[in-house]
Amino acid sequence: MQQTLAKAPVHAPAESPVPTASSAPAKGQTLAKALSIRHLDKSYALGGGRRLPVVTDFNLDLAPGEFVTLLGPSGCGKTTVLRTLAGLEDFESGEILLDSLSIARLPAHHRKIGLVFQNYALFPHMSVFENVAYSLRLRRVAEATVRSEVASALAAVGLEDYGPRMPGQLSGGQQQRVAVARALVMHPDLLLFDEPLSNLDAKLRVQVRSELRRLQRRLGTTALFVTHDQDEAMSLSDRIAVMKSGRIEQVGAPEEIYARPATLFVAQFVGKVNALPATILDEANGQVEIEMLGTRLRAPSPATGLPRDVLALLRPEAVTLGGPDSGLPGIVEDIEFLGDLTEYGIRVGDTLVTSVRSALGDAWKIREGDRVGIGFKEQTIHLLPRTEAAV
Amino acid sequence: MHEIAFKPLLRQAGLIVLGALILLWTLLPLYHMVILSLTPVGEGFAGKLWPDAPTLDNYRIVLTQDNYYLSRFWLQLGNSVLVAFTSCVFVFALSLTASFAITRLRPRFAGFASHMALITYLVPATFLAIPFYQVMGSYGLLGSRWALIITIATFATPYAIWVLQQNAGSVPRELDEAAEIDGASPWQIFRLVYLPLMVPTIVAVGAFAVMLSWNEYLYAFLLLSDEDRITLPVMLGQFLSDDSAPWPLLMVSGVLYSLPPAILYFLARRYMATGLAAGSVKG
Ligand SMILES: Nc1ncnc2c1ncn2[C@@H]1O[C@H](COP(=O)(O)OP(=O)(O)OP(=O)(O)O)[C@@H](O)[C@H]1O
Ligand SMILES: [Mg+2]
Repeated sequence: MQQTLAKAPVHAPAESPVPTASSAPAKGQTLAKALSIRHLDKSYALGGGRRLPVVTDFNLDLAPGEFVTLLGPSGCGKTTVLRTLAGLEDFESGEILLDSLSIARLPAHHRKIGLVFQNYALFPHMSVFENVAYSLRLRRVAEATVRSEVASALAAVGLEDYGPRMPGQLSGGQQQRVAVARALVMHPDLLLFDEPLSNLDAKLRVQVRSELRRLQRRLGTTALFVTHDQDEAMSLSDRIAVMKSGRIEQVGAPEEIYARPATLFVAQFVGKVNALPATILDEANGQVEIEMLGTRLRAPSPATGLPRDVLALLRPEAVTLGGPDSGLPGIVEDIEFLGDLTEYGIRVGDTLVTSVRSALGDAWKIREGDRVGIGFKEQTIHLLPRTEAAV
Repeated sequence: MHEIAFKPLLRQAGLIVLGALILLWTLLPLYHMVILSLTPVGEGFAGKLWPDAPTLDNYRIVLTQDNYYLSRFWLQLGNSVLVAFTSCVFVFALSLTASFAITRLRPRFAGFASHMALITYLVPATFLAIPFYQVMGSYGLLGSRWALIITIATFATPYAIWVLQQNAGSVPRELDEAAEIDGASPWQIFRLVYLPLMVPTIVAVGAFAVMLSWNEYLYAFLLLSDEDRITLPVMLGQFLSDDSAPWPLLMVSGVLYSLPPAILYFLARRYMATGLAAGSVKG
């Protein structure tokens, strides 16, 4: 089924940063490995000879020790990518390389890949110790080694004293950590996480995710983390790969994904955004002159050439509100209190512009129907071609 | 806080009455059996609610095989145990591996195989008696306890496969996959994941197979003939062909014969409780 691409072109994806010093493993640790996924195609049999393509021409490179997040909506194929990497699914074509060595044809247990399942998948009839020891026992490792390896894996996740417990006697967060320990005990070259935090409550999720990140940094293991939660992706990752229907839309550092999304889909997936129709009038000195919201202004020119009709992306927090005499005049149409922030919908001409700000301790109370002036820094504008179908 | 809702109470009362009626209906024959077993042989059908002179002497007669009909009581009871145990082993061996293969290894013909298994039940077992008799005859197994064991395993296995297959869903596939990543072979997954987590269902299936075998009369009667090889129900059936048979002794045998399954049931009940698989995965 699988074709090996004998001479797979060794090309780094566009805009892929060179591994930085910070993501390299610390001294004295086993060298982390780089992961390369090339032109991966995967479909599921639907019966009756039909197939559902789920992952199409998927390319992703992870530097040694890098922590990359696959971010995408439900059903876009994130789990499928992980399962394919782990060796739990066959695929039609493409190549998977760990340090330029193909692992695509190896059985799951020879790939040296640890997978943490979304539902943890702990063996309920075995103690925590035996759960973690399972892979060592299958490999007939000497008892003394098993003890020390399991102990250090459990220590790594802070569960030294929980060995004799049964999984049913642990909290969700503790079970999750046992699942991580089980993945660590084999000293994997690559760690895969499939939404490991989605079963934890909001507070614990934030705590566990920073623990996870610290652990990964300390071990220096290359990691691919799947989530559909953009906050999680932003806070954890060296780089984020945003996926949509089986393809990667953009790969980049969190700030880059947020500030300079490649598509409207990416922009909207990682946060709220104002997508305002604009027209390019002139281009010079790395800047473009555009017309939007009925005025002319300058915006940073993107690298690629753009058509005349563009979308100007503007994050709501970059839009400031002032008195009616400042900036562009608008009328407050609706106000939504979100707790930490308040969201304002401002009608400017025939466009609705969203702005968020903290309204705590405001002397000036904005009400619906008020006349206001909106302002924004021109550097925060990000332009995209308008031809793309709005999502 | 302690306001008692009237309607649920009424419904509950109705249920209790209904339950009591069903219980009475079920227990009446058992009651008769026990009463008769305590009645002296001579008195026979006195039709009394309680015998005039209840006696345990009948039990002594049966246990010491002190009667023409019962001269091989222990041997025949042993045959019943042997047949039940061995059929159960067969049913386990076949249905556990088959259900594991169908649900976990998912070969191409899995759906077909699981349907075929149930087709066995389209024809009532009674109608298959003659064909089975012929088949066993041509294999030279007539009169052998193997014939009965094979027959019972044949009838019990498809249902066992079906029940196991239905319940295999309660063991998450991720457990198999986690074991696979850890390096377990399918056989190791079968032993270390599938079997331990299917225990409640396995116990239920085993109970079913044992009961089917324990209560089997028709095939035992048909396939076995030697006094030393027949199972106890066949011997009990011989009472019915004789007008002057000592009925109280038949009843004693009946009481004794129903004890092992009852004991087995109470022992197995502990394991049948589900929830062993609970807590393996979240969400
Ligand atoms: N075994 C399967 N057979 C057929 N289709 C499948 C199978 N597994 C997944 N799919 C389909 O493949 C697509 C991608 O599934 P996948 O589980 O990879 O999505 P996901 O991105 O992980 O979603 P989620 O965030 O909900 O977990 C979905 O449309 C799903 O219905
Ligand atoms: Mg998923």
